[in-house]
Amino acid sequence: MTASMYLISATEIAALMLSIKVAAYCTLAICVPGIAVAWLLAKKSFLGKSLLDSLVHLPLVLPPVVPGFLLLLLLGSQGVLGQWLQQSFGISVAFTWIGAVIASAVMAFPLMVRSARLAISQVDKRLEAAAQSLGAHPLRVFLTITLPLALPGIVTGLVLAFSRSLGEFGATITFVGNIEGETRTLPLAIYTYTQLPGGDNAAIRLAVLSMLIALAALMVSDWLERKALRRIGQGLKHD
Amino acid sequence: MIDIDLKCIQGNFELNAKCSIDTPVLGLFGPSGAGKSTLLAMIAGLKKPTAGHLIVDGEYLFDSAKGIDLAPHKRRIGTVFQDSLLFPHLNVRDNLNYGFNLLAKKQQRLKFSQIVELLEVGHLFTQKPHQLSGGEKQRVALGRALLTSPRLLLLDEPLASLDVRLKRQILPFLRRAKDELKIPMIYVSHAIDEILYLTSQIAMIDAGKIIATGKFHELIHEQKVLVLAQSLGLENVLHTQVLEQHPNHGYSLTSIGTQLLVIPLIEAVIGSQVSVTIAANNIALSTKRVEGISIQNQLVGKVNDIQQVGTRMLVSVDVGVQLLVEVTAKSLLDMQIGQGSTVFCLFKTQSIQLFPAINLQ
Repeated sequence: MTASMYLISATEIAALMLSIKVAAYCTLAICVPGIAVAWLLAKKSFLGKSLLDSLVHLPLVLPPVVPGFLLLLLLGSQGVLGQWLQQSFGISVAFTWIGAVIASAVMAFPLMVRSARLAISQVDKRLEAAAQSLGAHPLRVFLTITLPLALPGIVTGLVLAFSRSLGEFGATITFVGNIEGETRTLPLAIYTYTQLPGGDNAAIRLAVLSMLIALAALMVSDWLERKALRRIGQGLKHD
Repeated sequence: MIDIDLKCIQGNFELNAKCSIDTPVLGLFGPSGAGKSTLLAMIAGLKKPTAGHLIVDGEYLFDSAKGIDLAPHKRRIGTVFQDSLLFPHLNVRDNLNYGFNLLAKKQQRLKFSQIVELLEVGHLFTQKPHQLSGGEKQRVALGRALLTSPRLLLLDEPLASLDVRLKRQILPFLRRAKDELKIPMIYVSHAIDEILYLTSQIAMIDAGKIIATGKFHELIHEQKVLVLAQSLGLENVLHTQVLEQHPNHGYSLTSIGTQLLVIPLIEAVIGSQVSVTIAANNIALSTKRVEGISIQNQLVGKVNDIQQVGTRMLVSVDVGVQLLVEVTAKSLLDMQIGQGSTVFCLFKTQSIQLFPAINLQ
């Protein structure tokens, strides 16, 4: 045991920064589609609604390796979509950090949708009717009434998605591998160190870091949620 | 001019509303569950009728035969709901502005400052709805609807969630809106005094059907209207003029036609109009003026109609205006009162309820 066990190495920092980058892009990417799908599921009835609902939730109940494998089949260099992307645009997402973003997005999407859907369906429909009777087009009603009132739940969904992405392991390693500096996020780095002789200290350091980030995310979420609730006058009830 | 012929079937409740409205304010009156709110929701476009048509000022808003169903945001019909439904995340100013800002400049027939002054909500601008009292909320909701310059304003029991004291504070604002802005209104309530304070033109709705439309005092002679009105509590609303103020003795002297009326002291300038209510069952009848009695008010008039409602008799007395008096059948027999008899209507000053005076600019 020496002082060096507390020192974080450059590769460990790279893994940390990569994780944050992947999680941030993942959260950004699913924000708008997540709200759109949540709105569809909360407000509309249409043919195939329960199928869409099930598809969205599938990654939540499948072993993460399965979505990862499906992504590989679809977007890998031999995949249908992957080959087309490669030939038409010269883009390859397999074994890149963008692929890691896609894998986390698929896994985090249901969490975002569940949270946002609940929040949207809990907005008093009569408020939306009142806005309409004041002359607001349905899209304006959504943007000015539904969305602001559902914001606490949407923020919760985004934080859940961010945290899920930070912890994503199975789908990522299956789809984009474990390439240092490119796709080796925190969980993958921890896993790698546990497989190396003498890697325990590094694994412990990264595990502590993971916990700190997750804790910070939850605290930020709680703060944002309370702030949003105060705006609509519900935060005072508990004071 | 509003032409309504709307049908709506949901479960085993069927609403079939037919009437045409050409009065500034129509009071839509009926027991709960009669279909009042459903009818308003259909007029506003928030509920789709099964069949029928709705024409406002010559424009078709709904017609099942022609396949017309104008979206609610295009109808320009304002609604004030029972629970104000202010937007909780916006302050009072933004709530008031919500519909106003959606109008093109030339469509803004009412000035923002005019409504704010009329409803006295200027000091609340920065407050959020949850910080307002029930009465303030309803005033803001009324202002928010008025500011969209609607061609028709629907008021769906706007005072039902307020206590009596607050109700009486809000009603004068509605009266002002009616008198100064000339926006046609349909006012839904099951409280007859609220409606009569605003208008004498009513439509009676029961079990999904409009059973009568016209002036309240004419309709009340129809048995089916009478039975319904009586079950909801019959009130007389009298519009009087203040003659003298007696703050030391706690009363105001007012006149109604050529007769004098003593009412509890009201804050109003001499010469101004004040409205009061007296319940039909709080009035007693006498065949001659009674001397040596503590009751201050004895209005003389002629009986012009007597109707039986269950075990009670409802007597219409013309004292300059129509006064409804509820007595037992036995007392009418004992006193030998019939149509054309001259009677005195006796009621205590304390049984009179006041509406606050309106200060019209």
